[in-house]
Amino acid sequence: MSSEAGETAGRREGLVTTGLLAPPLLWLALFFLVPVVFVAAYSVGGVHLFPTDGGLSTGDWQRFLTGGSTYMTLFWKSIRISLTVSIAVVFLAYPVAYFLALCVRRRKYVLLLVIIVPFLTSYLLRVLAWKVILGDAGVINSFLSWSGLRDPNDPIGWLLYSQFAVMLVLAYVWIPFVALPIFVSLESLDPRLLEAAGDLGASRWRSFLRVTLPLSTPGIMAAFVFVFIPTIGEFVTPLLVGGPDGYLFGNAINDLFTRGLDWQSGSVLALFLLLVVAVLMAIFGRFIQVRSVAA
Amino acid sequence: MELAASKWALWAMRILFVLLVVLLYVPIALLALFSFNAGDPSFPLEELTLNWYRRIVSNPLLVTALRRSAVVASISSLLAVALGVLVSFALVRRRFRGKPVVSAVVFSPLVIPYVVFGISLLVLFTAFDRFLTSTSGLFIGLGLHSVVIGHVVVSLPFTVLTIMPLLERLSTDYEEAARDLGASAGQTFRRVTAPLLLPALVSAFLIAFTLSFDEYAIASFLSGTTPTWPVYLFAQLRVPSQLPQLLAVSSIILVASIGLVVGAEFARRGSQRKYDLDT
Repeated sequence: MSSEAGETAGRREGLVTTGLLAPPLLWLALFFLVPVVFVAAYSVGGVHLFPTDGGLSTGDWQRFLTGGSTYMTLFWKSIRISLTVSIAVVFLAYPVAYFLALCVRRRKYVLLLVIIVPFLTSYLLRVLAWKVILGDAGVINSFLSWSGLRDPNDPIGWLLYSQFAVMLVLAYVWIPFVALPIFVSLESLDPRLLEAAGDLGASRWRSFLRVTLPLSTPGIMAAFVFVFIPTIGEFVTPLLVGGPDGYLFGNAINDLFTRGLDWQSGSVLALFLLLVVAVLMAIFGRFIQVRSVAA
Repeated sequence: MELAASKWALWAMRILFVLLVVLLYVPIALLALFSFNAGDPSFPLEELTLNWYRRIVSNPLLVTALRRSAVVASISSLLAVALGVLVSFALVRRRFRGKPVVSAVVFSPLVIPYVVFGISLLVLFTAFDRFLTSTSGLFIGLGLHSVVIGHVVVSLPFTVLTIMPLLERLSTDYEEAARDLGASAGQTFRRVTAPLLLPALVSAFLIAFTLSFDEYAIASFLSGTTPTWPVYLFAQLRVPSQLPQLLAVSSIILVASIGLVVGAEFARRGSQRKYDLDT
């Protein structure tokens, strides 16, 4: 092939690549990146949409960051709840993933599917189920009064519309998803390593601590991040089962846009949340094999 | 096996597994049970009935909301699959600079909080409308089209994650053979590549469809005056008397979606196995 023909072929290859990438990247640029830029601009008054919108100012940012508003407190409350939920869920899911990956021989994928299927059913519905279970006239309370274990006029009130309810439901919703990356990392473990540890005299517990656990760290990290990040901005679960006590940062953003119509403050909070997620991804991103989700 | 756990630990994990499965399925099963209950969703049950199911068809608002979601989910998942095929081909078959950046952009909707994404599109569409009105007096407004746009973005990483693995296993031999035998690029894609990719395309479509059909957060900001099914469901939850009927609809959707997802998974596994045998 002459160098000229090679050059034309190379250019054509380049054109094909551009043709493949242009439509999806254009879509993402227009409807994913540009909107975020707009929110950033809006948060400092660079976009004027309503008569009440002020001019260019970093006032909302200053008020938010220096703690002049209650939103910062709300942000830390959200972080605390997300952190509690993600840690609890990882602790619960680990032994289950361990069991499926290393102890079950036959039908392990079927059993894994049994755990994952609830995650693929309606999110609203799973939250709603707990509303029905935890309410004052719900399954638990009506069972207690029906069986005579508790006075019918005195139902357990803290079950629903509380931080407890938010954490319980979030854990319920995310557990199936968390088991997956841990399972994947444990399954790729070479069993000969455990044999070697055993031959060298390590007890089971010791070889778990020194071999299995360190080698499954990437799975644990991925699982943790995949719960922690989406739950920081959660607003649907608190809205349904949280009550005033379970009101979170995501609810504040939602309310500023749908009720308070203070879009500028809302943009500040939204962009801040996005920056936090970006920083978390920069820190934890290398632990995550996106593929492990699709396995 | 005895290397991984002692007898006691094995039993403890077995019990934990069973408990988890019970915990995962009981709440969903309860909802289904209450959808057949004549009274309020609580114990003790009153008589069992199919009334709530019968009444679904005579509730026009509900049926309209369901139809809207079906339309939004169909269009957005078709678009997400089409765009996903393009991205997958570029990432798997092509060499170009900036590949890590492209895949970071494509996969980042996986971690963006939906509330942030929803309000971002809301701000964009509002700004665009303001611009339209001031320049030409036109106005588009929010609606199903805006929901479709948002759902394509969040479905795209899932369709790419479904299509890419199959494309990676697909050897280029078949396509090269087709080209050598004189087929054009278009013919090769239609007659060779697309049929081989079909299982992945179907399963990507189903995943995107389920995601969109059930999506509340983004739709709540963008659906305007045309609520999709989740938005309608959420609004109706404030009316306790509506609950049993909503449970009936949800139970139908639940059974259908579990069937679809499990079916899609088996189809994908089956086709992968078949393909692995071929090569």
